[in-house]
Amino acid sequence: MKLKLNPIVKKDMQVAARSMRISWGLLAYEAVLALAFMLAILVIQEDVSYSSYRNIYNYLIYLFPVLAVTQVCIVALIVPIITASSISGEKERQTFDIMLTTCMSPFSIVLGKMVSAMIRILFFVAASMPVMALAFVVGGLSWSLLFYFLLTIVLLSIFSGSVGIFCSAFCKRSITAVILSFVIYFVIFALPFLPVLFAAILGWDSFGESLLFLLFDPVVFFEEFFMHIISETSILGGVSHAFTKDQVGFITYHLAQGKLWMFVSAACILLLSFGFMLLAAWKINPLHASSGRKRKTKGAE
Amino acid sequence: MLYIEDLTKNYGTFTAVNQLSLHIPEGDLFGFVGPNGAGKTTTIRIVCGLLRASAGKVRIGGMALEAGKRNRKRLIGYVPDFFGVYDNLKVREYMDFYGSMYGMGHRDIVKLTDDLLELVNLTDKKEFYVDTLSRGMKQRLCVARALLHNPKLLILDEPSSGLDPGARVEMKELLKNLHSMGKTIVISSHILSELSEMCSSIGIMNRGQLVAAGRMEDIMQMLAGGNRIHVCISSDMEPAVRFLKEQAGVMVDSVRENEVLISYDRGDEEICVLIGRMIQSGIVLTGFHREEGSLESLFMQLTGGGDR
Repeated sequence: MKLKLNPIVKKDMQVAARSMRISWGLLAYEAVLALAFMLAILVIQEDVSYSSYRNIYNYLIYLFPVLAVTQVCIVALIVPIITASSISGEKERQTFDIMLTTCMSPFSIVLGKMVSAMIRILFFVAASMPVMALAFVVGGLSWSLLFYFLLTIVLLSIFSGSVGIFCSAFCKRSITAVILSFVIYFVIFALPFLPVLFAAILGWDSFGESLLFLLFDPVVFFEEFFMHIISETSILGGVSHAFTKDQVGFITYHLAQGKLWMFVSAACILLLSFGFMLLAAWKINPLHASSGRKRKTKGAE
Repeated sequence: MLYIEDLTKNYGTFTAVNQLSLHIPEGDLFGFVGPNGAGKTTTIRIVCGLLRASAGKVRIGGMALEAGKRNRKRLIGYVPDFFGVYDNLKVREYMDFYGSMYGMGHRDIVKLTDDLLELVNLTDKKEFYVDTLSRGMKQRLCVARALLHNPKLLILDEPSSGLDPGARVEMKELLKNLHSMGKTIVISSHILSELSEMCSSIGIMNRGQLVAAGRMEDIMQMLAGGNRIHVCISSDMEPAVRFLKEQAGVMVDSVRENEVLISYDRGDEEICVLIGRMIQSGIVLTGFHREEGSLESLFMQLTGGGDR
């Protein structure tokens, strides 16, 4: 069977490769990482110099979380911007209608836009590997960890990309789509904490399974990931130990042990992303029920 | 090829297309005419699958619009009234991109791109960036793009809008060429003279309804029914006009410097008698001719000529 590259991915790559934007973006990405690296080194050096018996190499392990969190933040910021303008950009350029008359299904269009955004971001991440590798060499972390970190970046790209695409499908203008992406970001980050907050405020005896909503929260996922790397501990694991079996639900209690939470959370985030992509594909399909009511041709000519 | 039955499109309480029925046979070059807001673009967008109809049926090549989307899409080549281009994409790559979107193989795309660029006279622009082409060239490229998957039905929405006269002539020749090759073409335009020159049949829309449709000759014959005669006079105009007004059945429509336009709803023989009487009464005639029907006059007659 011959694998065919999604035409949108190929075209977007061709267009992006000829643009200066990608070069400037790469420069800015590397610059921010280098700055974070130097700041981290400076802080560690100052911290160690207070005490003569402290070994700097014991502290260089903290280089990785600093650089990794910096990368996660940059990726979380860049991907929605790239994807939020992907479909609305086609609408603004007036190339979208032609695209819809071709044999590409709406989901293939969404997928193509998504993959091209991910490739671009992975290109940035790949370019940052020498800096990251430095953190591993002097920080004494394993190479497998670097691989897991890359997987989490891919997961984050898929998630933030799907949010961006979703907003892009619903908005006509790119800028509106970008703003809406960050609003949805905030809602997804904050919303899973609401049941926990309610339970705490109302003084319920048991949280029940309300902590399970946190499975869909990428912030909690990354917190768990970095906690496991740095200290082999887990805040959620700590929570489940702190509570008795009666105070949290059965599933929450067992899920919060060890690394299981991370894998289930990754699956939940992927599921959420897939949902966003399906919604985007549904929205851009001109023959779905609501598009006919809302979309207007120029003066209904 | 294209069969539309009772097509209706509502936007809330506003009806953009109202029970439109139309049949366009294979190999036809059909012109869609109507003032702004008549419902032409809405109809075209529904046919192309870019808009959902509120009611009615559309069949393309015997295939219902809803059934077999992928196959139905292969039947249509769509050229919108305005289309954007991608920065940093060459003409060859532009064709390759859309060919791939129709699931065509690279070899087929390369071969067809060469042929189509030759057809639209853009062979020498193959390695040019699309955004550097003139509007006329871009429009021709869009036609080539729409033909890449060899559709049976080519739909063009205002293809000549914004083009200079030279580019319009080129576009017209291209469409005539495609028609001679047996393609079924639907073209919407405001430039009526252009349509009357190249279309084999025509449909006139107004306020969402099809007010007239048929072969171009039949439509023109509708106009020829009235007897409007231009009478060219070289003698004094005043007694000539007075004479004409006194004749039974003659209505003087307009008077120009050396020409009077009259309506005389009689046969050819009576017209000859009238002319003879004019000469006998001392009016010097330099000529006379029956007014030819034009698409413009029919359009004005049927639509009132105004925008919606």
